[in-house]
Amino acid sequence: MSRQRIWDLPTRLFHWLLAAAIVTAVVTGKIGGNWIEWHGRSGLFILGLIIFRVIWGFVGSPTARFASFIRGPRAIKAYLKGEWQGVGHNPLGALAVIGLLTLTAIQVFSGLFANDDIAFAGPLAPLVSSELSGRITGAHVWLFNGLLAVVSLHVAAIVFYARVKKTNLVLPMITGYQALNEGTPVVAHHKHSFALRLAAFVAASAIASAGVYAAAGGFIDQPPAPPAEHQAAPAW
Amino acid sequence: MKQVKPFLVAVALSIAASAFAQQAAPKPETVIKWRQSVYQVLAWNSSRIKANADGQFNREEVVRAANSTAAIANSGLGALYAAGTEQGKGWHDTSAKPEIFKDGKKVGDLAGNFVREANELAKIAANGDQAAVKAQFGKLGQTCKACHDDYKVKD
Repeated sequence: MSRQRIWDLPTRLFHWLLAAAIVTAVVTGKIGGNWIEWHGRSGLFILGLIIFRVIWGFVGSPTARFASFIRGPRAIKAYLKGEWQGVGHNPLGALAVIGLLTLTAIQVFSGLFANDDIAFAGPLAPLVSSELSGRITGAHVWLFNGLLAVVSLHVAAIVFYARVKKTNLVLPMITGYQALNEGTPVVAHHKHSFALRLAAFVAASAIASAGVYAAAGGFIDQPPAPPAEHQAAPAW
Repeated sequence: MKQVKPFLVAVALSIAASAFAQQAAPKPETVIKWRQSVYQVLAWNSSRIKANADGQFNREEVVRAANSTAAIANSGLGALYAAGTEQGKGWHDTSAKPEIFKDGKKVGDLAGNFVREANELAKIAANGDQAAVKAQFGKLGQTCKACHDDYKVKD
């Protein structure tokens, strides 16, 4: 049985790192205590992944590009009737991709301004009033349910494909290859050289890192240290 | 006449005492203010311990903050959740969910965990090193979270 490559390495890495980071963020967030620090770190990491994936949606290989898989309602209808011919994300799955990316982005962005009412606050919480930070925290907690719902739907769809449609979607996301059966459309090949693709990857990673640095409060001006004679609080 | 006078004094005293007792029952608004203020003081202590656990370790400061936390934990905080304070405004609308006034046993257990870990932190603050303080501070934070998760309104 021949096979063809449908997912590039950065797309696969993104997928599994995102899954691992989300699990880490959920578990550490539920445990609390000092683990909340890892909740914050995994959130920043997720933010970097999301920024990378959005850029990769424009400069990545053909199946990773938004333009290649985001389709209108007509294409979704055609897909549901079994008339869709293509590789990569199908028109319905594309909705899940966009939903997951958007909800995850909102979740990490709100987390930057949230606080746990105990001893932890997101790196950008100092930029907003504590009242607003509290309201954003409420949204952060509430929105998690939405993210949980979309992730569950995503996993249920994978199971549905495996059980009912006898299509393994997990393996291609690991190996990058899809079994090529008769009638499977052939993926459009990358026209760019390896050097150019590597440059795109490095540039996307650099922009994502800069985004994480900014989100971690790297650009917030630290208040200048008070003059030495005022430094000590009264001894009582 | 000789017996009447002490009797009148006793009556006057007991009237005065009961009037005083009635006055001593604080208004719900006051109780809610105390309740909210207690958590602000706990937040002050937490931030001091955290700063010392993560940065430069000043034992004197940690001991003060940990002892203050333990003292508040042992002060009988349940009294601040008296009947009649389920709803209303203190400094702001109460963040206590109605369930905290109903789930007596469970809330009591959670409060007991908080007291236990706060006492332990005070003990460790006196002798333990920075890592031990940080670890115990994390445990204490988990007891805060346990109650917040179920009984604090997320605005």
